[in-house]
Amino acid sequence: MGKVQEITVWASGVVQDKEARDVAQCLAAAAAKEGKFIQAFDNYVDLPDRVNVPVRKYARISDSEIEEKYLYENHNPEIVILVEPTLVKGVDVLQGMKGDGCLILNTGRSPEEILKFIPDKTPLKKIACVDAMKICPKAVIDFSGSEGAVEAAGVGVGIGAVLAGAAAKVSGCVTIDSLMSEVGNPEAAKRGFDEVTIKEL
Amino acid sequence: MKSYEVKIAKEKLLPEAGIVKAPSPNGEQESMITGCWRVLRPVIDHEKCTMCRSCWIFCPDQAIEVKGEEMAVKLKYCKGCGICANVCPVGAIERVPELDFEGGVVRLEKLF
Ligand code: SF4
Ligand code: SF4
Repeated sequence: MGKVQEITVWASGVVQDKEARDVAQCLAAAAAKEGKFIQAFDNYVDLPDRVNVPVRKYARISDSEIEEKYLYENHNPEIVILVEPTLVKGVDVLQGMKGDGCLILNTGRSPEEILKFIPDKTPLKKIACVDAMKICPKAVIDFSGSEGAVEAAGVGVGIGAVLAGAAAKVSGCVTIDSLMSEVGNPEAAKRGFDEVTIKEL
Repeated sequence: MKSYEVKIAKEKLLPEAGIVKAPSPNGEQESMITGCWRVLRPVIDHEKCTMCRSCWIFCPDQAIEVKGEEMAVKLKYCKGCGICANVCPVGAIERVPELDFEGGVVRLEKLF
């Protein structure tokens, strides 16, 4: 089995649940378009019906078939995306990262300012900030897509598209063209790609 | 008359309004630390505060305590919901972005 690239998206429950799921789904869908093998799913043990509880969404991308179908958590994420940047203070979001990792935050603050809150920077290669709420001031709150149901509001129409675009630039896990063809708001994804501030460590 | 009293060991009863493990001896719910949820931190202006204790009554996480002559927020449990700021009759509580503060880090290894 080839290498599996793990992507973990963190967000605040209910208010950002849908946007976080969209980030994972859009990146996975874009990778699928490029012929990769993918998985995208919500974290099973979170309690996502509580407002502001930290929740996780996962995506996996690989060049060959992904065998671990029944592993419900990403234990060694390479790309970590925070829809709620404050979680950098609340949770060890880099846990399990093995090096050469990317951290992408939805914030207007600078990467230097965020680095103050990260005690161990060794697994990080890049940290990037993008002000998704400024680029696309829309966070869709919708539960219709959870548990595999139909997405009534469309996938990737709000800040999730911006963050997916930023992740594409920072990590190169997918190309911006394939991402733009998979999100509901390609313009927002492109702006996220163009306007993200990256700091290499 | 025969008594049908059901005897249940005290430690087997659920705590009031609680579905997580019983509180630890120090009175805190250590299996449910909600401080890591907080996006906006309530900051009390002690000049304006009249010690009416409305915030103390309404806080759903019992994260407000009376500390001597002042009200104080327990940052380990405050989830930043803002109810205290909404009920304060004199507007003594301001909500400030958590990332503005360097301290108050509640970094959990494991969420639940
Ligand atoms: S913000 Fe909410 S949890 Fe925090 S002290 Fe106020 S009422 Fe309690
Ligand atoms: S509700 Fe306001 S005035 Fe009353 S104790 Fe709390 S902070 Fe002070």
